[in-house]
This record gives sequence, C-alpha cells and structure tokens, in this order.
Amino acid sequence: MSELAANAPLPAQSDKKADEFAYASQWQLTWWAFKKHRLAMIGLWVIGLMYLIAIFSEFFAPDDPFKQNRRAVFHPPQMIHLIDRTDDGLRIRPYVWEMKRERDPETLAVSYSPSGDKVYLRLFGRGESYKFWGLWETDLRLLATVKPRDKFFIFGADRLGRDMFSRVMYGTRISMSIGLVGVAISLILGITLGGISGYYGGRVDVVIQRLIEFVLSLPTIPIWLALAASLPPGWPIVLQYFVITLIVSLIGWTELGRVVRGRFLAMKNDDFVVAARLDGASEPRIIFRHMLPSLTSHIIASLTLAIPLMILAETALSFLGLGLQPPAISWGVLLKEAQNIRSISQAPWLFIPGGFVVVAVLAFNFLGDGMRDAADPYGQ
Amino acid sequence: MIWRYIVKRIIWMVPFLFAVSVVAFLLIQAPPGDYLTTYIAKLGESNEVLDQATIDNLRRRFGLDQPLYVQYLKWVANLLQGDFGMSFEWRQPVSDLVWERMGLTFMLSFATLLFTWAVAFPIGVYSAVKKYSIGDYVATTIGFIGLATPNFLLALILMYIGVVYFGTDVGGLFSNEYKNAPWSMGKVIDLLKHLWLPVVVLGTSATASLIRIMRANLLDELSKPYVDTARAKGLSEFWLIMKYPVRVALNPFISTIGWVLPNLVSGAVITAIVLSLPTAGPLMLQALLSQDMFLAGAFVLLLSSLTVIGMLISDILLVLLDPRVKYE
Amino acid sequence: MRVGLISATALLVGMVPGLALALNEAPSLAEQVAAGSLPPVEERLPASPEVITPLNEVGTYGGTLRRVLGGSNDHNSILRIVSPQGLTRWKADFSAVIPNVAESWDVNEVGSEFTFHLREGMKWSDGHPFTADDIMFFVEDLLHNEEFYPNPPARFVVDGETMTAEKVDDHTVTLKFAAPYGTFLTELATPLAQEPVLWAKHFCQQFHPKYNPDVQASVDATEAVEDWPSLFRLNCGEVEAPNRWANAERPTLDPWIVTGDGYSAGSTQVVMERNPYFWQVDTDGNQLPYIDTLEMNVAVDNQTIVLEAIAGNIDMQRRRIDNLSNKPVFAENADKAGFEILNMTNSSANVMAIHFNHTHKDPVMRELLRNKDVRVALSLAIDREEIIDIVYQGQGEPYQIGPRPDHVLYNEQLGRQYTEFDPDRANELLDAAGYAERDSEDYRLLPDGRRMAFNIQYTGIEQPDWGDALEIIAQHWQDVGVEINTGSVERSIYYSRGEANEHDIMVWGAPGGLDPTLSPRDVISVHPQASWYAIPWARWYLSGGTEGEEPTPSMKERLALYDAFKKEADQEKALDIFRQIHQIAADEFEIIGVSLAPDLVGVVNKNLRNVPDQIPASWMYPDPGPTLPQTYFYAG
Repeated sequence: MSELAANAPLPAQSDKKADEFAYASQWQLTWWAFKKHRLAMIGLWVIGLMYLIAIFSEFFAPDDPFKQNRRAVFHPPQMIHLIDRTDDGLRIRPYVWEMKRERDPETLAVSYSPSGDKVYLRLFGRGESYKFWGLWETDLRLLATVKPRDKFFIFGADRLGRDMFSRVMYGTRISMSIGLVGVAISLILGITLGGISGYYGGRVDVVIQRLIEFVLSLPTIPIWLALAASLPPGWPIVLQYFVITLIVSLIGWTELGRVVRGRFLAMKNDDFVVAARLDGASEPRIIFRHMLPSLTSHIIASLTLAIPLMILAETALSFLGLGLQPPAISWGVLLKEAQNIRSISQAPWLFIPGGFVVVAVLAFNFLGDGMRDAADPYGQ
Repeated sequence: MIWRYIVKRIIWMVPFLFAVSVVAFLLIQAPPGDYLTTYIAKLGESNEVLDQATIDNLRRRFGLDQPLYVQYLKWVANLLQGDFGMSFEWRQPVSDLVWERMGLTFMLSFATLLFTWAVAFPIGVYSAVKKYSIGDYVATTIGFIGLATPNFLLALILMYIGVVYFGTDVGGLFSNEYKNAPWSMGKVIDLLKHLWLPVVVLGTSATASLIRIMRANLLDELSKPYVDTARAKGLSEFWLIMKYPVRVALNPFISTIGWVLPNLVSGAVITAIVLSLPTAGPLMLQALLSQDMFLAGAFVLLLSSLTVIGMLISDILLVLLDPRVKYE
Repeated sequence: MRVGLISATALLVGMVPGLALALNEAPSLAEQVAAGSLPPVEERLPASPEVITPLNEVGTYGGTLRRVLGGSNDHNSILRIVSPQGLTRWKADFSAVIPNVAESWDVNEVGSEFTFHLREGMKWSDGHPFTADDIMFFVEDLLHNEEFYPNPPARFVVDGETMTAEKVDDHTVTLKFAAPYGTFLTELATPLAQEPVLWAKHFCQQFHPKYNPDVQASVDATEAVEDWPSLFRLNCGEVEAPNRWANAERPTLDPWIVTGDGYSAGSTQVVMERNPYFWQVDTDGNQLPYIDTLEMNVAVDNQTIVLEAIAGNIDMQRRRIDNLSNKPVFAENADKAGFEILNMTNSSANVMAIHFNHTHKDPVMRELLRNKDVRVALSLAIDREEIIDIVYQGQGEPYQIGPRPDHVLYNEQLGRQYTEFDPDRANELLDAAGYAERDSEDYRLLPDGRRMAFNIQYTGIEQPDWGDALEIIAQHWQDVGVEINTGSVERSIYYSRGEANEHDIMVWGAPGGLDPTLSPRDVISVHPQASWYAIPWARWYLSGGTEGEEPTPSMKERLALYDAFKKEADQEKALDIFRQIHQIAADEFEIIGVSLAPDLVGVVNKNLRNVPDQIPASWMYPDPGPTLPQTYFYAG
C-alpha cells in the first residue's frame, strides 16, 4: 500500500483535491476507496445497527424475553396497523388486533382468533422496568403497548409464550460478540503459525505441520465430549460457552494455518519477496507488509465464512450437551429450539432468527469485499 | 526427491498413530464414569434397576475393573494383531460394525466432494471474473443463505416438505425393499435416487465456502501485474485465466483435501443422524456417548489414519500443481 | 381396562384339550407343509396350545407391521413388540401375572418353591422340543457356573443362596429358594427375567465346555472373543443386549424370529418373520401370529421418527414419539396418512420429580433441605396449573408422587398434599423457618450469609420439557426469594454427578404410578442411581449397612417394611405393607412433583385390529407386548 501512496500524483499539480489525495494517510485512502463501494457501506450500516441492538437490547425489546405467558403459547406474528379507523374518523395510531387463544381438546393444537379489541402501541413507550446494563433502572422501550398489561407479538411467540421479537433482540448480544472473539483468535493463530511454517520451512515447518496434522486428525467429537464433562457445573452458562468458543478457536486455526503455509511456501521465492529480502527488509516486515497482503482476499473470505459457523456453532454443539444452553439467548439457541417437526408445521415464525443470521453474515461479507477492494495494492 | 519425501512421511505415520491412539484413548476415557455408568443410566431411564451382582459381572467381563494403562495396553496389543475387540454396547466384534459403515461413508464423502467441486469451481471462477455482476451477487447470496442455515435444520425442513407435500421417503439411502437386499443394478439406481438429498444438504455449506475461497484467491491473482502482462501479449481470456491464476487459486482447495473425510464424518454427524444415513458418524457419536471404548477407539483411529493419508496426498498434489513449491 | 376379557382368557388356558380344536395355519406355512419342507401344523404345536381369545375378533392372516427403531441401539423396541416370552406374563391390564410359557404352576405353602408345568409337545422355533431340560440347562450349567455368572443376578438369589432347580419329569420343573420369595412370579413377568427359558439347550450347548470339550478351538477362531462365555453370548444372545436379535440361527419361543443378519450396529432395517412353531392359537384354532412380517427401519433422530409417523410409514408405535407436543402434528396428518392416534396411559406418577438432596455434603444446605417446612414452602410456591397449561398442553393435574388415583394403592395425601399455589403461605413458612433475611436483590440468605440458591441438573437432551418447566419454576421460586441455576447435562455426566452426591436438587422421572411396588424408589431409598434425594441411604441399604450413610429412622422403618414385602406370599398382606410405606412417605414429604403424568401418544394404522384403545406405557409392562401383538391383524 505504500506503493500506492508513492505512485500518487505529485503536489506540484496543485489542485486542492489532488493535494488532499497526496497528503492523505494510507487509512484515509483506504476509507475513500471503501466509501465508493455501495454494498460495503450498506453492510457497514447493517452491522452498526446490529451492534446498536446488541448494546441496547433491553430498549429495543418490547418485553422481558424470559417471561412465559400461558395465554400466548405459539402466538402467531401480528401485523402493526398504522391507520386507526374509529368513530371519530381516521387517526394515525399504531395498533395490533388482540388475539384470543383456544386449544382443541382433541388434537391439543392451539389456535388464535381476533377478539375484536385493538392493542394500541406507542413509540418510546413505557414497558416493564429493567436494569440497563445493571446500572440504572428504567422502563423506556422503543415500542410499547399503551396499556402496560397488553402484549403484542411482531414475530409471534414461542412454545412458552415468550415474545420472539424480544428474544431475537436479546440474542443479538451474544451472537454478535462471543463467537467473533473466537474467529479473531483463530485468525491470529492461523496467520502467525501458518506464516512462520511456510516462510521458514525446514525444522520449524516440520514441527508446526505435524502439530496441525495432529490437531486436524483427531475427530472433534471426542474432544467436545471430554470438554463437556470437564467444565465445572457451577459456572455461569455464558462463561462456559465462552471457554468452549476459545477451545473451538484453538482447533479452528489449523485449517487457515495450512492454507497460509501452502501459499507462503509457493510465494517465498517470488520476485517481489526476494526483492524485499535483498532490500534488507526485516522478516516480520516481509511477512506482514509484502506477503500477507497478497492473501487478504483469502483471509477475508475465510473470516466471513467462519462467522456464520461460529454463530451457529451452538446449534450443533447442543446435540452433545455443550454449547449455549437456555435460559441464555442467542440466535443459535433460538434456532435450536425451533428444530423440530412441530415448529415446522405449527409455528414457522420460529425460524425468523435464521433470517437475522443470514443478514448479519451477508453484511459481514459485503463489508469484507469492500475492505478487500479498498486495501488492494493493485486495485483501481 | 518426491519419493524420498513420501517414504519419510509414511515412516512418520508410525509414531504419529501411536500418539493418536494414546490421545484417543485418553479422550474417550475423559468423561466421568465408564460404559457401565451410561448403561446403568440408560436402563435407569426406563426404570430398570441393575443389581450390583450384574454390574460387577459386566465390569469384569469388559475388563473395566483393571487400571487404565492395562486397558490401554490390552487394546493396543489386540490392535496389533488386527483385533479391534468387542463392542460393549452391541456385544459384537467391532470390526464387523466398523467396516459396514466406513464403505458408505467413503462413498458419500466422495459424492459430496464431487458435487461441491463441480458446483463451486465454475461458479467461483465466474464470480471472480465477473466481479460484482448480478450473477456474482446471486451466487454470493444463495451461498451465504446455505451457509447460514444449519445443515440439519435444512435436512429436517426438506424432509418435512418432501413427506407432507410429495410423499417421498424419510431420509435414509435406500428404499425399504432394498435396505437388506444384496447389491444389484436396482439397488444402485435406488441409491442414486436417494443420494441427492444428503449430498445437497451436506454440500451446501461446503459449496458456499469453496465458492468464496475460489473467488477470493482468484481475485488476488487476477489483480497481479503478470496477468496484465499476459493480456497485453494477446492471450485469449479463457486461457489467460485457466493457465496460471486458476492453478494458483486451486492451492487452498488442495490444502483442504486432507480433512474432507473427517469433516464429513464428525462435522456432518448431526445431519447424518437427522437423515438416518448409515454412515460412520452417528455410530461413532453413539459409541462415544456411551463410552463404548473399543468401538469409539476404532473409529477415531481409522479416521485419524485417513486424515493423515489425505494430508499426505494433498501435500503431494501441491507440489505437482504448483511448480514453485519445493521440498527440501 | 378389559379386565373381564382377560380373566376369561386365563380360564380358557389349558381347559380346551388341544386336539379338540381343528388347527389352521398361515397360507405361507401351508405351502411349505405341502412342499414337504415343514411338518403339518398338528405336529408343530403342543398337545394343548395356549388358546388366546382375541381382544375384539378372530383375525385373518397376512400383512407386514412396520415400526421404526430409534437411537443407535434400540433393541428393547424389538423386545417390546415381540414381547419377552417368559414363564409368566402380565395380564393385558397390568393388574396381575398369568401363565405364559409355563402352562400352570404350584407354589409350596411358605412360598419358596415354585413348580412349573410346561406344555407337552411344545417346540423351539427350529422344531426341537422345549422341555424341562432347557430350564435345567440354565440353572445348573449357567446360573451356577462361575465363569458364566461370577455373581448370580440378584433376582435369582434369596438370603444369599442362589436358586436351584429340580426336574420332576420332562415337562415339570421345580425352582427352589432358600427362603420365601413372594414376588418371584411377578418378577418373572418383568422384561429382563426371561433367562430361564431364553436358551435352547440343544443349540447353545455347543458353546459350553461341559458339552463341547473343543469349545476353546471355536473361541480361538472367533474374532474378539476371549473365552467361552463371550462365544456363548455372541451366538446365543443374552437379555438386555442387541446380540439376542443378531443371530437368525438361534432357536426362540417368540412369535416372530429375525431373518438375515438380524440387528446390529450397521442395520438399517430389521425384518422378522413368523415362527412356524409358535405355541399359541386363537379361539378358532388358528395358529398365531396373524401378521406375517415385522419390518423395522432404523432412524436415529426422534424428529425423523415423527416424520415417518406422519408419512404413514409406522403401523403401531409410541416409542420415541410419545411426547404430547406431537399430538397436534399427528392429528393434522392422521386422515391423509391413514393412521389414528394411539392413547397410552402413562405408568409414571408424575412428569418430573424434584429431588431435594437430604444427604447434602454441606451441613447448612443439608439442614435447609431436610426441613420439611422448607420443602412444603417450595412446593406451595409453584403454580402448577401454569406449568401444565404451558408445557404439558393443559393435560395433567397438580400432583406430587405415588400411585395414580385409579390404582388400588392410591394415597391421596401422598399424591395431592401441598399442590395448591399459595406464595404467601410459602413466604410465611420460609420466614418462620429462619430464612427471613434477604440480600440486595431480594433473595433469601442462609444462616452463614450465602444466598439461598440451588443448582438444579437435568438431562435436557432426553427431556426438553424439564428445562421448560424449570424455567417457569425458576420464576415462581424467585418470587419467594429463592434462586435456582438450571443446567442441562449429558446423561452420563448427570449420573456421575449424582452418584458422587454433589447435587443440591436433581430432576428425574417419577415412576410408580401404575407399578408402585415395582418402582418404589421415590418412596424408599432403594435405587443407587435414581433415589437422588438420598443416594448414600440407598448404598447403606444395599450394602447391608457397610457403605453409605445411615438413613433417618423413618426411612429405616420403610426399608424394613420393604424387606417384609418381598417375602410376603399373601397378595393382600403384601399390599397392606405397601400402604404403610406410602403413608410414612407422605408424612415425610421428601420429594415433590409437578403434574400427574398425562397420557402419551402414538400412532396406529387405522386398519389394524385387536389393538386396545388405551394401553399402559411402561417398561416393566413392556408395551405393547402384553397386549399380544400376535393377535393384531389387518382388516380388509
């Protein structure tokens, strides 16, 4: 990227814009390039919004996500109507139709029918009180019912009558944090060890390669099971899951490590590397400034590929009694709870969290694309 | 040169597998209790009480009353004679159980690999060459939807739709009439009819990954100066891409061959369970859960060996494909 | 349930002289007889076959009954449909035992010697006669053989002495114990007590060194087999193991026998065909079973089995799909797929039992959990109606433990005390018990300043409904200042933690609703892996006082009563002993429950006949076996 700056127009051309361009730092140049990438910007906004939700989940959620409600078991999603037709004429006032539960005594299936009453909603209304980040108590919610006892279900309710929308909002917090830490650790380990192995070769390579082979060749399931048994039962659920994520990443780096090593092995005698070496560049500099940039695409691609796997890891791990467990909430937990024939046939809205996973992953991917293009040393 | 390298690597496998056997043994033994604990637990769930006398009999019969190192040495000693031991849970020789499953696992892995490559390779190249075209976005989006849907959920939904709306079979690899039948033309055709579902379900996420990896690596190569040089020399666009950038971009494909099999066995185990696939995964998981030492151990060892062989193959291919890679 | 009918069957047994009936057989067997590959039906059946009165009507031959085996190892599902053909079996209503393989029996006055009369001319499935020698083979060559059984199974041991046998004649054998054994005939009807008639001597003796001096050569030649008992079990099978369904050569007394490779870890399908020598006929003299073939596919995941059911691929089953939450799904697809919903009476008392650890290692916790007022308060704090409505589809009623209301041993106090929802009273009780202090988050404090918090473990993979119920209970208890941390753990981890006595509270199933005397573990600490409220007491009892911890006087009294019960030959007196046990348990109130276990659901092909409307679901009564699946048939 230093090459790019060096090739930039000279200040002598004395256009203000060119001036800015010439003296811009490398980061600014990258940012300008990035901004031109429209999808990447959308991705950035989406991710920003998701982190906003993660930080202020209590505010975005209309209800307590843990609160069961016997009158709302498998409540279907409700449409929010904006224009209220009353005796006094039309008014703009959001509301939903209230639904009443019935249970067929024979088949035990629940069904809902409108009771004819309306439940009015209010932006920035007052809901149930909560302790924000455990610091201060408030009851401000983005959207709340006008009458505190009323409920509404934009995304429907689950088998215990809990509001899915609130649960999805809360789930954002864990899904957008813990797993990503694991991805980051895998990335650092993979690049460092894979790079060293490929660059130096010889004995270091042999040792690291055998280590990778060993880790890769052990089927992961016995490792999980041994882990499940050794985690102390008294630990909080989220901490347990964090430890599991750490261990996933300690195994997960190997695949990236092998690829990086393969590419380094192929690259280390390429002209530009040899040139840099002859130039007297230090080895870390050669690795990180010259060789690694030509791998950015691969690294960003494997990063964006690792994110959905990490978000969803708990759905698979839960089969082994590992992974995040209720009452903790994450998108993966929500999907796991929906994973039965009854949900597919009676309550398909329980799969909404899957949509959030897809959106988050696509956003990360486009963000990654934009970053790659912006940082591309040969890009236009 | 390469032959010496291969021989050296094969010799390496001996201490390596020995280490794997120790670690596998320890991992399987790591959860508290032993096979009998889970056996008692299972019976307890149906309210059966196993009396102490019976428990002692079983413990002695399976050698679980002996210290760990004795159990390990006995296991390894038998292994060296080609005897995998007796499954605690099935009370049948392990080798009968293992080989039945490994064959279909191989077949399924191979089919999935073919499917993945056949789909991912052209789409990946297309996505890279026509970067940010509509086709690229469509492929990206579909790929990530596949990636962001848990495999077994996809399996469950596809089966539900198939059963309720189209009256198809529920999972499995064969129709009822062929399940126990000897191999025949009809059985092969029947297998092919059932194969698409597991291959698609197992293949979606892998395909999405490979498309992205292919695209990314090709992009890296395409933007290098030598491509421009070649283009300037008037090489046709197709050959231009195929001749060198694609070969380099294949590097990561090849690096991953080694763990395709173990990935498909342990990574796809839950899908295999949902789809009732008679592969090694579900049986291995069950054996591990019930601490059926010899059965679980046999699977772990076999998979490890295959992974090592797979990685050796991938290393050799790396050399053959990319002339820049050398072995000292 | 069908009591009148079943006792009529019992009367018929043995009363109809065999040859007074003209015998009929399935068309497929008649063909083989005509071809000369099978002896005629008169020669295949005993002189006096057991005559079964079908539930509704005499059936017709033919058809395949399809079921699905779940898990990787579901051999007991095969056992349930084939039914364990032991010397005795359950009446279809689960109320008493009646003769099965034995034609009849006599018991000596004190109840320590049991003489069984076998059916003359009865044959194993390979046509070889079944005689008293087969039972003698089990007792003398296996039960008393230290290589085969280093320790004889407890059900054949009384007062430290192993059962002995005496052959009276070819069709009469006496089993003898050192002391009275009042529950022996009942024991023989339970699924794992089939051993006396499991092994055919003429076939299995080739694997026994007493009869085959060269057995060691076969041992050496067989992979993974190290001694003759292993070889014997590999070929002849054993109870409670899949290998008994793995050898098509093994002679049996079952209505259907396995074909091909049978059942092994690699199986995707198990097919069983009719036993041409089966020894039961219907009232018209038709040899049973009616149905030709059992076809059992293997599916590992329970959701897949639900799919098989709604696709109409299951003809009769409740195993692994019996959760009530599946009922709406079944109802939706029943007409289209041609099945009906099968109602199963739950034999459990409760959907879940909450075990307070009375032997907690921590003295403060122990004092807390041993305080009856605390347990009463925690019970009153639960709004059971809410849990039933949300988690159990409104099916059930607030309940504790003990026999179900329609059982002869029903104890209202044991079942219904403290099930009302009364958080105010709960708070009063806890305050009065000395736990009135609260911390900043309004949780109660223990005397040493710790928060009153319990770790609760459950097996969420097998029982997701427990997790749901516990989430609701957590809120109820929080309202009275008690915190719980719930955790779902893998089954074997659950067990090892419980056995190590490291738990505060465990959640587990509550059997004993229909089988209180067979599964008394919730009222007497007899089960070292399920009486979670006091594992060390169970150890103390089973080890004769050398291990574990001495129980409370109240529990010791119950344990002594239980010993007396096992020896009591008089049925009425035995039941009275159990009534005492239940009353003491009710006064102690050691564990609590949530809801009377509601009916379970299954599916049944709408053309399948002679299937009862309501079947008890239990392991001790291995449903549907005792309803005699050999009398099921397809209409039309």
